Amino acid sequence: MQIQDSKHLAGQKLATVKPVQIRGRFFTAIALHLTGPADRDFLAALDDRLRQTPLFFENAPLVLDLEKAQGLESERDLALLAKEMRARRLSIFGIQNGTAGQAAAAAAAGLISLPGGRNVPLDRVNRPERAAPAQAAPEVEKEAPPPATRLIDQPVRSGQTVFADRGDLIIMGPVSSGAEIIAAGNIHVYGRLRGRALAGVNGDTSARIFCHSLDAELLAIAGLYRTSENLGPDIPREHVQVCLEGEKLRVLPLK
Amino acid sequence: MSKVIVVTSGKGGVGKTTSSAAISAGLAMRGHKTVVIDFDVGLRNLDMIMGCERRVVFDFINVIQGDAKLKQALIKDRRLENLFVLPTSQTRDKDALTKEGVKAVLDELREEFDYIICDSPAGIERGAHLAMYYADEAVVVTNPEVSSVRDSDRVLGLLNSKTFHAEKGEGAVKSQLLLTRFDPQRSASGEMMSVEDVLEILAIPLLGIIPESTTVLKASNEGTPVSLDEKSPAGKAYIDAVGRLVGEQIEMRVNPAERRGFLQRLLGRTA
Repeated sequence: MQIQDSKHLAGQKLATVKPVQIRGRFFTAIALHLTGPADRDFLAALDDRLRQTPLFFENAPLVLDLEKAQGLESERDLALLAKEMRARRLSIFGIQNGTAGQAAAAAAAGLISLPGGRNVPLDRVNRPERAAPAQAAPEVEKEAPPPATRLIDQPVRSGQTVFADRGDLIIMGPVSSGAEIIAAGNIHVYGRLRGRALAGVNGDTSARIFCHSLDAELLAIAGLYRTSENLGPDIPREHVQVCLEGEKLRVLPLK
Repeated sequence: MSKVIVVTSGKGGVGKTTSSAAISAGLAMRGHKTVVIDFDVGLRNLDMIMGCERRVVFDFINVIQGDAKLKQALIKDRRLENLFVLPTSQTRDKDALTKEGVKAVLDELREEFDYIICDSPAGIERGAHLAMYYADEAVVVTNPEVSSVRDSDRVLGLLNSKTFHAEKGEGAVKSQLLLTRFDPQRSASGEMMSVEDVLEILAIPLLGIIPESTTVLKASNEGTPVSLDEKSPAGKAYIDAVGRLVGEQIEMRVNPAERRGFLQRLLGRTA
């Protein structure tokens, strides 16, 4: 199809845009866990939940988790449920963890059956409004992992990468040129920092970098970075903190 | 208890093979039964530095592949009774090395020798990795120059994570710094990194400082380990370093540059 098109176009004019472009894409969906049958009680509970945060689910892609659901084996039931949900402006597009019968029914009702996936806490789903407390929303997945601080008591050598993916990173030694230290939270270096330090990599703009002696190749907080070349010659070098002020990365002395 | 010591650096041309030869000769001079193994498969040099290139029949790779016995491949040094060389193959490449093969050879050598010196190839790939993998200790050879220091730092990271001891959780391989081709005058004038700068970056104990010396190249060309020349400053520095390697407390002398002859001084400062 694509080849034919381009051949066809070649005779007339140069094709500037490819007719079809395919890109893989990851995105986050909200999983709605259904426990029990999809009856009036469920819809009433859903309405109740939606009243608490009216904007939260609006237009968010939504998957129905049928692991603990009862019934919903027929196309009619699922189509009806989807219709009810769309009436509440919930953009349901698929199901997960369903039985073979439920999957077949979903396919007939125009819903796709997803092969699993990974749960993340809801606050990572980038919506402007936060979810209500967990006890008010038993159907929404919410298991925030405890923040984990990593402590390294050896020098971090050139070529090594240390990553604290869920919390702060503390390095009790020098960080060599060519080494990389990365944290979701703050970074503390009790030694000379010569390598690259990236704090708040998940987008936490309040993250900071603290270090005894600063000689870094690159500093970054929440994706905003400066290299040693554009840090300037007159920044403080001893006992400093690095933080974001608006859109600007600042190096300040620790008082 | 025998010790496997790897001589490594990351960067090429800093003096790994020269240092391996000098250290193993120095250990043998002290009466320790020592073997030095060339891990630089395909770029065989150690046998030349040791002056035994004409006597190579079987090599390390033949032993690993079972084509020869270890006894057949070991070359006994003509000058020192306790010194043996295990040369490598010039015709094969690093893929001929296997973890199991290296382990089997080292285990057999451990039964007979006090010290097993592994002369690592440059780089951090297979040859260098296998040279350091079973090491108990490491001598990191570094020149006082930024790229050499950075590469040594990288190698120290690998020694702490990619070796048998590290993988078994028995802690890092004990690593010591051998600073080679050091010129005190150029260091003092800021042309070269100072000992303190290098130590600050690498943060490991200093095993020795080998001064830049013309005798090193001469010894290499003649096939004599530098430490056999006890009169040269470099030879003395290697002998001191070997003493520290076996646990002696020897004061670190930053060797004064080689004294120039009266005539040379008269003729001016060009060296």
